[in-house]
This record gives sequence, structure tokens and C-alpha cells, in this order.
Amino acid sequence: MRLLQKTNRAYFLISLTTLIIAGVVIYFVLSFILRDNLNENLVSDIEVVKKSIEKNKVLPNYYPYIEVVEVPQQLVRPSLSIDTLIFDKAENEMVPYRQISLVTEINGKKYFIAARDTLLEKSDLLATIVIVTGLVFILLLIILYYVNRRLSMKIWQPFYKTLDELKKFSHDNPEFRLTSLSDTDEFRELNNTLDKLTQRILTDYQSLKRFTEDASHEIQTPLAVIQSKLETLMQDPELKKGQAELLSSAYSYTLKVSKLTQILLLLTKIANDQFPDKKQVNFSQLIEEKESMLADIINEKKLEIKKDISSEVFLETNLILAESLVMNLLGNAIRHCLTSTTIYIILNNNRFEITNSGTPLSVPPEKLFERFYKADKSSESHGLGLSIVNEICSVNKWEINYKYENDRHKFIVIF
Amino acid sequence: MKILIIEDEKELLATMKSFLESERYICETANSYFAAEDCLSAFDYDIIILDLTLPGGEGLNLIKLIKERNKQAGLLIVSARNSLDDKLKGLDMGADDYITKPFHLAELNSRVRSLLRRRQFNGDNKLIFNDIMINIDSGEVFVNESLIDLTRKEYEILVYLIVNRNKVITREALAEHVWGDNISYADNFDFIYSHIKNIRKKIEIMNGRNYIQNIYGIGYKFSER
Repeated sequence: MRLLQKTNRAYFLISLTTLIIAGVVIYFVLSFILRDNLNENLVSDIEVVKKSIEKNKVLPNYYPYIEVVEVPQQLVRPSLSIDTLIFDKAENEMVPYRQISLVTEINGKKYFIAARDTLLEKSDLLATIVIVTGLVFILLLIILYYVNRRLSMKIWQPFYKTLDELKKFSHDNPEFRLTSLSDTDEFRELNNTLDKLTQRILTDYQSLKRFTEDASHEIQTPLAVIQSKLETLMQDPELKKGQAELLSSAYSYTLKVSKLTQILLLLTKIANDQFPDKKQVNFSQLIEEKESMLADIINEKKLEIKKDISSEVFLETNLILAESLVMNLLGNAIRHCLTSTTIYIILNNNRFEITNSGTPLSVPPEKLFERFYKADKSSESHGLGLSIVNEICSVNKWEINYKYENDRHKFIVIF
Repeated sequence: MKILIIEDEKELLATMKSFLESERYICETANSYFAAEDCLSAFDYDIIILDLTLPGGEGLNLIKLIKERNKQAGLLIVSARNSLDDKLKGLDMGADDYITKPFHLAELNSRVRSLLRRRQFNGDNKLIFNDIMINIDSGEVFVNESLIDLTRKEYEILVYLIVNRNKVITREALAEHVWGDNISYADNFDFIYSHIKNIRKKIEIMNGRNYIQNIYGIGYKFSER
């Protein structure tokens, strides 16, 4: 949610509650004042009536506003002020009235005098208050919205500028600097901190990159020496069987280490997004190609490959990474597949699925994509293939899922 | 054939030199940028093997020098960096081939041989070993002058073995040469054996001799026993 939306929402809620409370208070205060005022008027009305009877000896009658009735001498009644309902013929409904009545003696006769006035109907009062508060509320919101928008555009403008600049930040651009300035202390501080942070990231990244490259170089050279020496030693025609075995084993482990360093370097490069050249890659064709490259291994294991591949599935990505993804998933399926079974491959514009037979995993599936994880410790695999797949999916913002169903392992890449 | 090897790692340099010398090449060596400069300005070479990471200067700069002074030489770049950038840059600047460290000596030999073949315009593009003759241009294999029909993989294996004749070839080197990196998905090398068996069979039909020896635990050797 945007900042503006959030403040607007807060203002909305605060104004709403305030106005509701205000409305209730106004209602009670107003009705109290009105009633008080009415009472005073009625009391003075009665005084006027009394004086008029005294003077004119005529009983005035303006029903229902003024009612005077002569009553027996012995009747005693206290003066009363009540709310009452009187039928109004004109409007054909019961109308609330305020009534003050008393029994008094004028010129030796006893009279019951009642003065009444219509009470403003409660619902009318309520409606008026609701309408007025509502209007005030809407007006307030409109004003707040515009003020807020102006303010947020003006005050927050340096913030948004910083944000825009930060979005352009990339490891590949070592010249990156934050240029936005602000006279707001908080923003200035934010900019300075971010600038330091990005500079730090850039230098760290550069040195990390250099380190991985150097490390790989430094390891590969001695490995190359070992490998070449072992190969030279293998040329010796006098080599005994036992020696040949030792040599062969040392040799194959040397190759393994060298493969490992290469893959670790690859993983680092993928994670650092050092494969920027993207183009439209034909996945349909890629899968066919990789399958034919692995044909010998597939035949050796007597595997059948069943494919449901839509033609011309193009994806915007780096070719090397796409090749590596397909190769690793296919290679993984072939490696862990039981002999003489079937591998199923599905490819369409949304997904790439590869399913192979095999025993269930001995560890939780989320471990599968971890580096150096091996289902079978004795396996020849280096345990990095699926990490590579995972890394490639994450830089391409694809989703990788694993399922085990009907004794089959299934990997699904959702594009 | 004269080869200049430019490599800063002394031990590797020595092994490369002795291996190539055993293949009857004349080898000179340089272990720094400056030594390489000296050699390049003084002599002509058929093949130059260049390590891109040299002390005292970036190997890529040497390419320029080589292209000025030793235009006719075939240039093979060796580097521990398997970054595509360097490879493309090197090839762009005129390198003929690229090999990554660590490499198999047999692979180095095979690359040098194919570079030489490409250099010799009027040279014969035939690979001959007694009764076997391979025409590299057409990709045809003759045993006792009769054409035999090999699959692509079988052909590549045979060429590799003959180029590295009398040398023990490890299964790993052979597999990597023919199948590339994909080989790492195999649990064993049994499928290589079935290809070798087929090659032997096809040669045998034409009364050819079996030159492919199994070297126990290591790999194969193509020789006359």
C-alpha cells in the first residue's frame, strides 16, 4: 500500500470516529438546549394565559397549544412538565408535544391550564445532524486528500527520486552514485547511508568476484600440473597392475576436484548474475539436442524417453544457463532412474516437467536443492546439479518444484 | 614443426614440453610475458600455445603481438578462466582455438594436430596408420583401401586414438573429447567400451589389425604392440 493511501486511510478513520462522537454529543446537547428553551417558553405562555384570564374573564382556547379547563374547587394537582403525544388531524399521525400543566386559582375559580408546543421530532433532529456531519466529513476528506497529495508530492519527492535511482543499481555498474539531494534532514541522512551502503556493496562484490576468479585460477593450475604428471606417469609401459589402479584412482579424483571448482565458479557466476546476455532460446529444440547428446548414456541404461513437447517454445534467457538447466535436469533424471524404465518430459509455454522412476527420497525434499546434497552418498555425482538448476531458476524468476508421486520423482519448472 | 609454449607454471610447462617433444615437435618455452616477447620477435613458429594469465602482462595483449610478428602461426589459448568473455575475446583477436586448464595432454595434442592440419593448405589431410587411412576432409575411413562405415562417435574416437598413437589414453580424456562435459552424467564408462568394440569389429571385417589395446584400469592405447 502506498504511503499516501496509508495516511489517507488513517485520516479517514480518525475523521470518521471524531465526527461520529461529535454527532452524538451534538445530538444530546442540542436536544437538551431545545427542551430547556421550550420549557421556558411554555412557562411564560402560562403566565400570559393566567393574566389574560384575570383581566378578560374569558378562557382562551388554542387547542392543542393552550388548553384551559375549569375544574372543581377541591382538585389539587402539582404542576407537571411532560412529553405527550397528540393526534394531529392535518398530518394524520401522532405528534410529540412538550406540555406544562398546572392547576391554579384565578378570581376564586380553579382552572387547569396546559401549555404545549410541538417537539421537534427526534428523527428529524437526528437526520439533520447526520446530514450536516456527513457533509462536514466529506468536505474534510476532500481537503485532506488534496493537502496530503500536495504535501506528499513535495515533501516526499526526494525520497521517490532516491528510490528511482536505487532501482537502477546493479553490480555491473561500478560507477553508481546516489545524486539526489534534499533539505530534509531525514532524507539527507537516508541518502548518505544508502550511498555508503551501495559503495560498500560494489567494492565487496568486485573483490568477491576477483577472489572467486583468482581462487579458481590458483586451484586449476596445480590441478593441471597434477593431471599432466599423472597422465605422463601412465605412459610408463612398465606399470604394474596395482600401480595402474592407484594411479587411475588418483587421476579420477583429481578430475573430480577440478570439476567441482569449475561448478562452484559457475554457481557463483550465476548467483552474481554474470550471464547478462539474454535472447530468445528455443527450448523445444534445446531439449531434443541435449537428449541426443546423452543418447549413449540413455541407451546404456536401456531407458525410454516419452516426450510431450510443444514446438517452438521460446523463452527469453541466457543460452548457457538454459543449456545448463536442461542438461542438469535431464542428467539428474537419467542418473537416478532405474534401468529399463521410462523418463517423461513435458514442455509447453508455461512449464517444463521431467519425471523419472526411483526410490523415495531419504531426506526432506527441500534439502534436494542444497549444495553438496546427495541422495546416495556413494554416487558419482558431485551433488551440485540441482543447486545449479535452483540458482538458474531463481535468476530467471522461474519456479522450481519437486514432487514424489506413484514411485516417480517429478521436477517442474514453471516459467 | 616448431612450437612455442608460453606458460608461467614451470612444472606444467615441463610436462607439456616433454609430451609434445615425444610427438616429435620442436618446442621452445617462455615462462613470462617478457620472455615470450623476446621469443616472438626473434623466431617464427608454426604453433603458439599461450597461457592467458601471465606474470608481467595480460596474455590477451600478447595476441596482438603474435598477430603482428607471427601471422602464419596457429594460436592455441590456454587458460584457467573458463569464462566465456575471455574465450570470445581471445577468438575475436585472432586465436584459433581455446583449451581450459586443467586439460588432458592427449587433448592438447589433438588440438595442436588439428591446428597444424588447418595451417597446411597443400599438406595432406590424411591420417595414416599402417593399413588404416583416414581422410580428415571427407571424414572417410579406409581399411586396406576399403571404405568402412563408422558412426560419428566411432569416427571421433578412432581419430583421437590415432592422433595420440602409442600413447595411453585415459577413458576420461577420450570421453571428454567425444562427449564433452555431458560425460559427467554417466555413472560409468561402459558405453565407451561398446563403441570401441564396434570399431574393432568394423576394422576386423576388412581384415584390419586390432591396434586398440585395453590398458587395465586406465583406458586405451592405439599401437602396434
